[in-house]
Order: sequence, then structure tokens, then C-alpha cells
Amino acid sequence: MAAVTVGPPPARRRGRRHLPVWHVLWIIVAGAYFLVPIISLVQFSFGGLVNGHSAGFHWYATVFADPNFRSSFWLSVQIAIETVVLSNLLLIPTTFWIHLRLPRLRPVMDFVSVLPFVVPPIVLIVGLIPFLTPFTFLYSRPEVLAFIYVVFALPFLYRSLDAGLRAINLRTLAEASANCGGSTWSTLVRVVLPNLRSAVIVGSFLTVAIAMGEFTISSLLSFNTFPVYLFNIGQTTGNEAAALSVISLLLTWALMVSLYLVGRGGRTTAQVAATR
Amino acid sequence: METAQAPGAVRSDAPATTGAGARAVRWRPGGLRWLGVVPLTAYLAFFLIIPAGELVVDAFRTPNGAFTLGNVSTIFQAQYLSSFGASLELSALAALLGGVLGLLAASAIVHPSAPRLIRSSVTTFSGMAANFAGVPLAFAFTSTLGATGVITVAFRHAGISLAAINPNATTLGLALVYNYFEFPLMLLLLVPALDGLKREWREAAANLGAGGFTYWRTVAFPILLPSLLGAMVLLFGGAFSAYATAYALSGSTGNLVTELIGNLTNGNITVDPQLAYALAFGMMIIITLLMVVYYLLQRRASRWLR
Amino acid sequence: MARIELRGLHKQFGGGVVALDRLDLEVASGEFVSLLGPSGCGKTTALRIVAGFEYPDEGEVLVDGADVLHLPASRRNMGMVFQSYSLFPNMSAKSNVEYPLRIRRQPRAERDRRARDLLGLVGLAKQVDRYPHQLSGGQQQRVALARALAHEPGVLLLDEPLSALDAKVRVQLREEVRRIQLELGITTLYVTHDQEEALSISDRVAVMSEGRVEQVGTPAEVYVRPRTAFVASFVGTVNRLEARVVSSVERTVRCGEVVLTVGADVFDHSDGTSVALYLRPEDVGLRTTLNGDGDNGLPGRVRSVTFLGPVTRVGVDCGLGALVADVSSETALGLSLDQPVSVVVDSARLRTIAAG
Repeated sequence: MAAVTVGPPPARRRGRRHLPVWHVLWIIVAGAYFLVPIISLVQFSFGGLVNGHSAGFHWYATVFADPNFRSSFWLSVQIAIETVVLSNLLLIPTTFWIHLRLPRLRPVMDFVSVLPFVVPPIVLIVGLIPFLTPFTFLYSRPEVLAFIYVVFALPFLYRSLDAGLRAINLRTLAEASANCGGSTWSTLVRVVLPNLRSAVIVGSFLTVAIAMGEFTISSLLSFNTFPVYLFNIGQTTGNEAAALSVISLLLTWALMVSLYLVGRGGRTTAQVAATR
Repeated sequence: METAQAPGAVRSDAPATTGAGARAVRWRPGGLRWLGVVPLTAYLAFFLIIPAGELVVDAFRTPNGAFTLGNVSTIFQAQYLSSFGASLELSALAALLGGVLGLLAASAIVHPSAPRLIRSSVTTFSGMAANFAGVPLAFAFTSTLGATGVITVAFRHAGISLAAINPNATTLGLALVYNYFEFPLMLLLLVPALDGLKREWREAAANLGAGGFTYWRTVAFPILLPSLLGAMVLLFGGAFSAYATAYALSGSTGNLVTELIGNLTNGNITVDPQLAYALAFGMMIIITLLMVVYYLLQRRASRWLR
Repeated sequence: MARIELRGLHKQFGGGVVALDRLDLEVASGEFVSLLGPSGCGKTTALRIVAGFEYPDEGEVLVDGADVLHLPASRRNMGMVFQSYSLFPNMSAKSNVEYPLRIRRQPRAERDRRARDLLGLVGLAKQVDRYPHQLSGGQQQRVALARALAHEPGVLLLDEPLSALDAKVRVQLREEVRRIQLELGITTLYVTHDQEEALSISDRVAVMSEGRVEQVGTPAEVYVRPRTAFVASFVGTVNRLEARVVSSVERTVRCGEVVLTVGADVFDHSDGTSVALYLRPEDVGLRTTLNGDGDNGLPGRVRSVTFLGPVTRVGVDCGLGALVADVSSETALGLSLDQPVSVVVDSARLRTIAAG
């Protein structure tokens, strides 16, 4: 909405107009809505009584001492890394190829990148369980989660790569590279990838966020990932769960800040589907 | 010829690789290009399309494999219909809440008098808030509005009961929690749309005699409506598909379709697979419908907000 | 129809940029005045102040003697045509034109009739139900014009309405704008950077530069008798020569090696001062015969020949310096580079403006 001067300015003729009061009010209310739950969480994480004293960092200490915390966290990290590697291995060459040789497939890819929304995790798992059960080698290991997460990370990674490729005018670069004698492979590795660095990093960070926060599939397949662990703790100790959540939140923030810093040149799409 | 002069004959096929060696560049006819998408296609087929497809098929099969409409007709029983009803009601509430609030916030930050800093920090924060969804979000709201939540306790001292918005128990409470990721999503979707409102429209309307409110009522709002509705459809879909947050808040007592499916599927033992298939199938139908509506709205929006 | 007066309009942007420098202008009732000047000269700012989208730091805007600055844009009873994008995309052409009438709560039948009449006036009787995205740029601007006139405003404002259109459409449309303006007799203020446009359709032209009006006059006045160096060079093409006054009584100047008598009206420079001589290309004659027949001809040599359609622009070097002459293309056919020619300067057409 472009606000336009269509009425006489307030007292002075000079001076900029200020944001209308109710807009400011709004921002304050919205700010409160977003901050209060976090503050409550933090409060809970320091709350309660332990042996008659106030808890202080007790819950945090408990969390860090819990071996399950470390193992579940480590598991989530591993899976996240695997997801990132897998999805990039799959998507970078494919997106590159499509942009280069099969531009007519771009609308198809746009459609494909919407498919994971039509089949959300809770629905997909219903179909995956009977389908994957025969593949016991894969199915019994947590690595299967990485393979599944790739599907849900796809829209975000693809969109990031697509935007990145569009921004560098791939066609011209590829032809220039060919003109200088480069093969397609060397074009990909030496010309495109360095220019895609930002898009890959942004997309990968989103993938990590999805993978580390995913609960639905990992819980229904009974893997002890970090969100599952978090949930289990929450069933018993409210304060400890609060402390864990604060830790989780801090990690998300760190991730987002890094994302912001890295992706500052380009655009950041920052939505997550799978954690809901 | 196989030298770098080849680009002179530029067509839609860029040069293909010849493997080892940096020199040779050769033109290849169309067909083999399609090999490039095989890996992705195979992957998606295996991990998305076939499982989803099988699920749809199995929704119409008895345990013995015979064709039946029984599974699907089961979900029209009262208890399951009420489940769908609950999910749809929640999604509508969340979409409405996020929609209205997002619109208000978006118009605030798009306002030219708004400091530049607000816009970028709100956008970044939106990304962050959207990622907070799931189990941690549930705990945060339990700490806030739950039975022993900070705010609940504070209001109780003042004599006001906040039971109506208890996220563990009420739909409204749950919608409030969903709002945490719906609102930022709405914001991120709407800001570009609001930017698309051309300054000339506002000025022309004023010149022709329209005050601020009339302009919004007759020009801006109708133009924005497709984008607004489209965004709310996406919000609806997001709320409808959500599982983790709801489950973390209400455990196994929840009545949402997603929770129902979760209960049936939990722990690798699918208690009533036919029902699970049917329910999942029902969800897919609803979401597909939403996507179609969204697509149509998007087309209209892009025509006007070009 | 309304009379407009701008008095002492002054506006400065942050950073010291002076957009308007005590601007004065009067537009008589029913008159078509163009604000002509390069980008950044303040013409659009002035127009937007009249319309009510911007406010001056000082000065007054009077319409029929009454100050309008205290009125919001929506109450000034003016019609404005923007450069582009101003049609409401969610409404058909007819609905767009009806919009101001809808706001004034005119009954539907009347609105409908008036909208159709106006669209007919601008030549779009058959496109009443089309939407903006279905119309060409020229058609959109016609609808915009019809819409601006629908509520019978006292003043019509146009902000470079044709700049975004193709050249041919521009010429066609500007004549239509003028035709309609004459038919309705509406007071009009027109902003443009295209001098051909301004000269061809205005009653008077106000040439602006850096927030100031350099000269106001009929198109002919501004073209034939420019009063400042800026106007002389901005409007049309002109030859500019440096000269020094020899005798103010005899109105002679020395330019290069040549002494010329300046014929045009005012000559109030003192002896010995530097002046700039201005001469239009069409006032520079070329003769291919070299015999001195006392015709004031200077020896010269052809430097360049540029075909422009109806005329050919010939660059010549002569005693005065490098000049540009417009000759009929037929005559120019015989000219070649380096050819010696005789340059004839029409002293009645020479204008001097003090240099510096």
C-alpha cells in the first residue's frame, strides 16, 4: 500500500509524515504476541523449586548431563547432514540440467515442488510404512529419515537453486564456457557452482532446519531424534522440557542469523512445512 | 566440427559433454537430454509418488486386495466426520486469524513512513518464527497459556479465567498457537502483494474524489482480494496438515484428523490400516481441492498485480 | 472554466535540492499551457502541487482566486491523467470512467450514459467493457483521459501522458487531446519533456529549468524569440556562436573573422561585451555557386550531411565557426563532403543573448 499525500500535512508543511498511531499499536501487540511465549518459556526453564531452592540453571544442567540428550541431538545432526548432502547431490545437477537443456520442464518442476504440500508428512507416512517395510535394510535404520526428509526439503532447496540460477543467466554463461572449450561437467563445477554458493547455502540451511525439527515421521517410525526426545521429556518434566526448548530455540536462531548473513545478497525464502 | 566454433550454430541444445578431456564439444540431438532428470524422477517416484499412489489405491482395497468402497464410506461415520469437522474448523480459524492479523501487520510495515529497519527485521523474524513450529512451540505456549502458564496464572489473580484459550484443550487456544507460524507466513506472502499496489491508483482515486477509506473499499481491497484469499488458502492447508504441534499439546486425546492418523500409525503397528488409508486419502482430496483454488486465485492476482 | 495562478511556489528537498524556485505562472480560463523542460526541472513537482499530492514550502496556488492548498487532493475538483498504470485493473473501461461519478453518487443510468459518451469522445465506444490489461497503451491513456473528465472538473492536469507510448501513437494522441480540450474548453496544464509535443498543441509554453520558468509565451514566441540561452538551446536545434559587440549603435558584432549586423529586436549590449549569437538551422542558407554577388555569403566547406526526411542537416565550417544548416533534401542531394559552399546568414534572424 503506497501511502500518498492526499491531505494537507499536519501543522507544518515541511517534515515527513509519521506512521499512523494504530500501525504502531499493531506492531507492539504483534511483538508482544511473539515475545511473551518465549519469555514464559525461559521463565519456566529457570522455574520451580529444587530441594527448597529456586532452580537456577538446574534444569539446563540436567539436560546436558542426560546421555539421551546428546545421543538424540547427535542423531538429528547426522540425519540433517545426510539430508543436506543427499538433496544437494540430487537437486544441483538436476536443476542445472533443466535450466540448461530442458527449460520447458521448468513449469513442471514448479508443480513438482508443490507436490510435497499435497502429501504432507502425516499422509506420506501412511503410504510409506507399507511400501518401505520390505526394504528392511533401509527401513530399520535412522538413515531412512534422511531419504524421506529430502522430499520435504525439495521445494525450498529447489526454489533457492532456481532463483540462484536465474540470477546468473545460466544460458549465457554456459555458452561462454562452451566457447572457451569447457565440457558441461566443467561448466557445472567451475562456472555455475561458485556462483550458486549463496543459493546452495541458503537452501541447505533451510534443509537443516527442516531435518532437525521434524517430528511427525521420526516419532511415528520410532526413531529417537531430538524433537522426539524433546517431546518425551515434555511428557514428564515441564521445566526440563522448557530448558530443552530454549536450547532448541537458540539453535534455530543461530541458524536463521547465519542464513540472514549469508543470504543477504539474495532473497531468503524462509518457510518450513515439516516441523508442524 | 569439434572445436569451440560450434556455438556459431547456437540452437536450444547447448553442447553436451564428451567426458574426459577439456577440448571436444559436440552437439547432441534432443532425446538423450531427458536422462538428466531420471535420478530426480526415480527418487521422487520411490519416496513420494508410489507411496502416495499406493495409499490412494489401498484406500479402496480390503485387506485381501479386493476392490471396496467400504474404507472410504467408513470415514463418513459420525465420529470421523466430526474429526474432519474439527480439523476444518481449526484450519479455518487459524487461517482467519493469521490472515487478518497478517494483513494488518503487512500494511503497517509496507507503509512508506515505516523505518527501513522495521521491514527487514520483521521479515527476518517472520522466517524465524515460522521455523519455531512443532514441539518447542507447543511447550512455549503451554508455559504461557496452559493451566499453569505464566499468563493464565497472572489473569487468574485478576479474577479472569483464560480457560477458553487453553491450547491444550480448546480449538481457539490451538488456533492461537498455530498463529505463530501462520501469521509470519501471511506476512511474507502479503508484503509483495501490497508492494504491488501502484501509487498511481491511490493518487488517481484521490484525484477523482475518493478519500482513504473509499479508495480501500473500492480499489485496493478488491485488487488485493485474490492474493489475500490465496494466502489464506495456503494458511488453511498448512494448519490442516499440521501434526506435531497439535500432538504435543493434546497427546493422544486430540480429535484432529492428523492426530487420528497418528494414533493409528504409531509405533510401526498400524492398528487399522484401512481406516488410515481412507483418512489419509480424504486429507489428500481436501488439500488437492485447496491447491486448485489457490492456483485459480493466483492467476487472477498475477493479472492484476503485475 | 477555472483560472489557475501559481505564486511564488518554492520547494526544497532534503539535501538542499531546490525543486521549485519561487515559481510564478498564470493559466487563463480555457487555456492550454505546457510545462516544458528536462527531467528534474520541477515541472512534475509543480503539477503535483497543483493536484494536491505534494506541498510547497512556500507560495500559493489559487484557482479562480481562491487558495486550494488547504484542500486535500480529493476535494480540488481537478482531473489528472498520469503517465501510466493509473487505470484500476479490477474495473472495466466503463467502470473506470464511472468511478468519479460513483463517488459523487450519481444515479446509475446517468453514470452509464456519461461514461459511454466520454468513451465515445475518445474513440473507444466499442471497448467499453474491456479491462485495462486487454487494452493497448494508447487505449489505456484514452480511458484515463475520459475518466479524468467524467466529473466535469474545472482543471485538467496531464503528467507526461504520452511518454510511455510509441512514437506514432504519441503524435496521434496528442492531437486528440488538444481536440478534446478545445471542444470542452477546459483549463489545462500539461507537463512534458518533448518540445515538439509542447509546441504543437499548446496555447502557451512555459519553459522550465532548475525550478524556474525561463520563459512563457506562445510556441512561436518561444521558438523564434528565445529570451535565455537555455530556452534557445532547449527548444529546437540552434547554432550558438560566441561573438563580441563591436558597436551597440550600429548593432554589429564580431564573430570569428566576420562582422555581422544583428537584425532581431532588442540589442541592449554595450560595446565590447561578450554575447552569444543564436541562429536556427533553417535560417542558414547554402549556395553552391561561389560567385560573390554581394549576397552576404561567406565561404565555407561542407563537413557533414545528415538526411532527416523532409530536410537534410548540413554541417558547414566557415568564417563564423562550425554551423548547422537545414536545407531541403532536394537541394542537399547535390552536396558532397568537403564541397565548397557559400553560407548566407539572415541577419534579421540573428538573436543575441548576453553571454555568461
